[in-house]
Amino acid sequence: MGNKQTIFTDEQLDAYQDCTFFTRKEILRLHGRYHELAPHLVPMDYTNDPDCKLPLALIVNMPELKENPFRNRIVEAFSEDGAGNLSFNEFVDMFSVLSEMAPRELKAIYAFKIYDFNVDNYLCKEDLEKTLNKLTKEELTPEEVELVCEKTIEEADLDGDNKLSFTDFENMISRAPDFLSTFHIRI
Amino acid sequence: MTSYSNDGFFNPAYHDSETLEIDRRSSSKNQHINPYTREDPAWRFDGADTHHSPVCQPSSADAGRVALGGWQEESWRRRDSIPMGVISNPGSPSWQHELTHSTSQINPQCDQSPSVRRPSSVSGNMTMRLTGITMNRMNMFPNTDPAFIEDAVRNEMEKEEQDLIKELVTLSRRDRIRTIRELPMCFEEKKHIRSQVLAFKTSKQSHNCTCFADYFENVTLCFRRCGYSIRSARQTLELWHGIMKEISGKFGTSVLSYFVFLKWLLMFNIFSFLVNFGFITIPLLVYDPSPNIPPNVSFRGLEILTGAGYISYTVMYYGGYSNETFVGLAKYDMQLAYFFTIAIYMVLCGIALIFSMARSFMKNFVLVNPASDKAWQLLCSWDFSITNERAVRQRKNNLRVQLKESLSEQAQRELLTLSEKLKQFGVYLGSWLLSTSLAVGCGASIYYLCQYEQEQATDAANWTLLQEAQTLLVPFVVSLMNLVVPLFYSLFNKFEHYSSQRRQIYALVVRNIFLKLFILGVLCYYWMNVVAYRFTCWESMVGQALYRLVIVDFLFLMLGSFFGEFLSNLIGTRLLPHVGIPEFDVARNVLELIYAQTLAWIGIYFSPLLPAIQILKFFILFYLKKVSLTHNCQPPRRIGRAAQMQTIFIAVLFFPFFVGALSMVAYVSWRLTPSEQCGPFRGLNSTFSVVGVWMHNLHEIPGSQWVIWIYEHIIESELFYFLIALIVQAITYTFWQISQGRKALIALLRQQIVNVGKDKSFLIDKLQTLQNSDPNKKSKEKDQKMHTKQCSDEQSSGSQSNSNAMVQALLARQQFEEEDERRSADGVPVPADISTPSALMQAMLARQRAEAWDEHLYQMPDNYPSSSSTLVQAMQARQRAESQERAEYIRTAPFSENPVNRFSAVSQTDRSGDLSSSVSSVKMQVREKSAEEEDRFQWVPSPSQNPAPPGSSALIQAMLARQQAQNEFDDGY
Repeated sequence: MGNKQTIFTDEQLDAYQDCTFFTRKEILRLHGRYHELAPHLVPMDYTNDPDCKLPLALIVNMPELKENPFRNRIVEAFSEDGAGNLSFNEFVDMFSVLSEMAPRELKAIYAFKIYDFNVDNYLCKEDLEKTLNKLTKEELTPEEVELVCEKTIEEADLDGDNKLSFTDFENMISRAPDFLSTFHIRI
Repeated sequence: MTSYSNDGFFNPAYHDSETLEIDRRSSSKNQHINPYTREDPAWRFDGADTHHSPVCQPSSADAGRVALGGWQEESWRRRDSIPMGVISNPGSPSWQHELTHSTSQINPQCDQSPSVRRPSSVSGNMTMRLTGITMNRMNMFPNTDPAFIEDAVRNEMEKEEQDLIKELVTLSRRDRIRTIRELPMCFEEKKHIRSQVLAFKTSKQSHNCTCFADYFENVTLCFRRCGYSIRSARQTLELWHGIMKEISGKFGTSVLSYFVFLKWLLMFNIFSFLVNFGFITIPLLVYDPSPNIPPNVSFRGLEILTGAGYISYTVMYYGGYSNETFVGLAKYDMQLAYFFTIAIYMVLCGIALIFSMARSFMKNFVLVNPASDKAWQLLCSWDFSITNERAVRQRKNNLRVQLKESLSEQAQRELLTLSEKLKQFGVYLGSWLLSTSLAVGCGASIYYLCQYEQEQATDAANWTLLQEAQTLLVPFVVSLMNLVVPLFYSLFNKFEHYSSQRRQIYALVVRNIFLKLFILGVLCYYWMNVVAYRFTCWESMVGQALYRLVIVDFLFLMLGSFFGEFLSNLIGTRLLPHVGIPEFDVARNVLELIYAQTLAWIGIYFSPLLPAIQILKFFILFYLKKVSLTHNCQPPRRIGRAAQMQTIFIAVLFFPFFVGALSMVAYVSWRLTPSEQCGPFRGLNSTFSVVGVWMHNLHEIPGSQWVIWIYEHIIESELFYFLIALIVQAITYTFWQISQGRKALIALLRQQIVNVGKDKSFLIDKLQTLQNSDPNKKSKEKDQKMHTKQCSDEQSSGSQSNSNAMVQALLARQQFEEEDERRSADGVPVPADISTPSALMQAMLARQRAEAWDEHLYQMPDNYPSSSSTLVQAMQARQRAESQERAEYIRTAPFSENPVNRFSAVSQTDRSGDLSSSVSSVKMQVREKSAEEEDRFQWVPSPSQNPAPPGSSALIQAMLARQQAQNEFDDGY
């Protein structure tokens, strides 16, 4: 793969390996996947940090994300501009956080970002309703949605402000051991 | 947040206006007042939807890339052009994120106005980690001007980063890499920090001997790369990566956990096979390659099933090994090798199990609170690894059903009367009694069957085919029981109505464990007390029995999964559609694996090569289960807590099963007399006495006194074990106490969080009541004035009345600053301020420029002269007001975190202001508005990403902002 044509320099690969949870092989595999998404846009040669971003619509079409109800939110949470355009580095970041090795705290931070639809740093009822509708194909009646969201806030809200702050969320995550294994996308 | 863009987009006049553009931003930036919240619900739709809006979305990927790439290049160049020393700013700060978010929704292509350009990310690195700190800082200055806060925050962040780098430099390499990896920043920032740290390190080292440092650096680099390539290689060797991904994509994590468990057990067996084969079998084969088989025994084929006859003379069983000491290049004592290999393997297995169990407990049982079920279902239960469309649909359905069920359950729960409770208790008791007696009955029947078989069996070397086939009776019955009785248990489970699904599963698991324990216990008892005294080479007989159990169990697993799942799938799809496709029962399948592994552990002494069979079995089973799963099964309907179940399974594997196998093997080697005729330990009283013999021989070798000392004073001394036991108990007790203390502490901390929340709401209430009681005499007059002002504002700029002038001005400054910088990046010569090192200086200069620019705008023929003039005036006014107010804040203890102080600070500024009475009415209006907004919509567009108590500070800031707006207004006119 990398014999004839160098995709990354050794220094770059070192940096990737030091800063993410991936090995060089996986980095190369990720580059392959990224390249696959738009072969005419993404260069094979990354040694001089080419500036290239792929829009959300392309990334969301990856088989790993295609069926995920939160796909748009995932991509948006990791894109610097917030609109879902991902550079390769952000792409690597995304899968690094979603990898098996990432610690709970890191995953929790990004999960919170994903569920925070209106980016106000709280999971308010509106966010929860959106989450619930995404999770249940919007087949619950509005009353049921209301009830479930209320219960959720009631259970997880520690400081009584009727919305979930990151602290509340983290506290809840720390008691949900499955989160580590379910917030995980194999690449 | 995404909404503003559309609002602006559909109204071309709206975003041609500079002021309105700012206005729009200010509303997203402004935490307190959201002008659109109640006015126009239409703009509030999902962020995701915006991307599909036909007008704004770039039609092709190319277009999007060009536009974004262009921007990106600019920002890169901009970054390079600012010599900010250590801190460049690779990322947009997250508290500005919204700003960018809302603005970048507007496609540059659809919009010709320059105002749509992305606002500059002036400040330095800011990330989630630092965000937390920033929030705190922001909270500490609730009353102050955002520009001031911004500067303070930026400085704070720079300092924070410096601290981080310093901290990282002191860490060891491994820790450093781990810490960097776990920083919640984007890759660019991490890379930046990493290079800073590395640069710092090398600069420090260059003071020392450079040559040596270089060499050292090279060596460490080599080692690091070597380490990484080993990790890569290990990943290449990882078994079944693709299949695992496929399974998790189609069936989710809970089903995958079965396969992970299977793989884990497979690894155990591969290890044990390598150890046994390497240290016991290979030396024997090297020394004596031909097995000593009696001439009248030949291979007949049935041996593969029964393990008797031909195979019983090979190295498969204990009997095939000799007790000699091979003299080749070195002496190799077969007895010692056999003993120590088995012993060390068992100890290593135990340690590995304890460690993985402890780690799993640590990870999965931290503070598990069964109460938070709904929150869990909503926010943690979605399995991100699922990629299959059908599975996603099914999962969504299941979740919906589960949520509905739990809602209805809650309604019913209170209705249970005493008689119903008694009835339920009776059902539980009955089913427990029934299932336990079933297990006991199975054990007893197996015992009698064994006795019957023993009467039939003889010690002869060559059995007839019928005799050989008869030996399969016991394993057949055992496997049949293992297959059928659990079905009865599931049937019982249908009649008991457990309140929670978890209890139901646990009940099922416990019953199955009892059954398997009874069966294995009876078998072990039979082997140790009957077989051991009856046959000449009894270890081989036990080995054969275990071999048969393993093989027949394998056949039943195959048949069970093939016919059981296949047939029920057929029935479910063709004959009885209401039954449905069978679910994959993770608990039952894992217990089957545990049972199979226990057989292998027991057999390790009697048949050292049994792991080879086990490897084959698990390997085939993996593919078989995978095929059966994908063709016949559906994912489990109940979304259980898979991680917890997995921990339980590892614990179960360790506690009754591994410990049972270990004690069985230990008992055999300590107490039972090895057979006289065969095996490595022939002629000894017990297996363990081989160590005594070895010690005795060691006396003659001079250099080995310490080994003898250790043996005599540690292994053989009761006192040592007594002391060890005491120490372990003391340590355990201490840790137990510590964990109790921590539990209490956690409860305390949680209580504290609740208290803080209560305090917050109390203070807000208090604040409101105090405000309401404020006497405002001139309120009517001022209200009128307000209305006129609002009217004039609406005439001039549409929605300025709702916006916050202060934030507006700040934003204007930022925007102009960005524009200037962009121009500078584009090559237009700009005064020397670019080279000014201080960011603050730059900001100030930019502001001046912004003002100049604004005046320039003002002079230009404009469609909206009134708006820009208002802006200029507002900004000038703001400057004045700001300087006054800042002085005042400093006087009135503005930095205190105490909300009460904050409040007093506010009231003081209010009173000292020349518009105090007018302000109070305005204030009230604002407060009401913001309170309403908060209550009804619970949606505060906070740019500060502020997780800490927002209510009070937001309120105060809103009030202040309004006051300031009033000031500016009055000054302006």
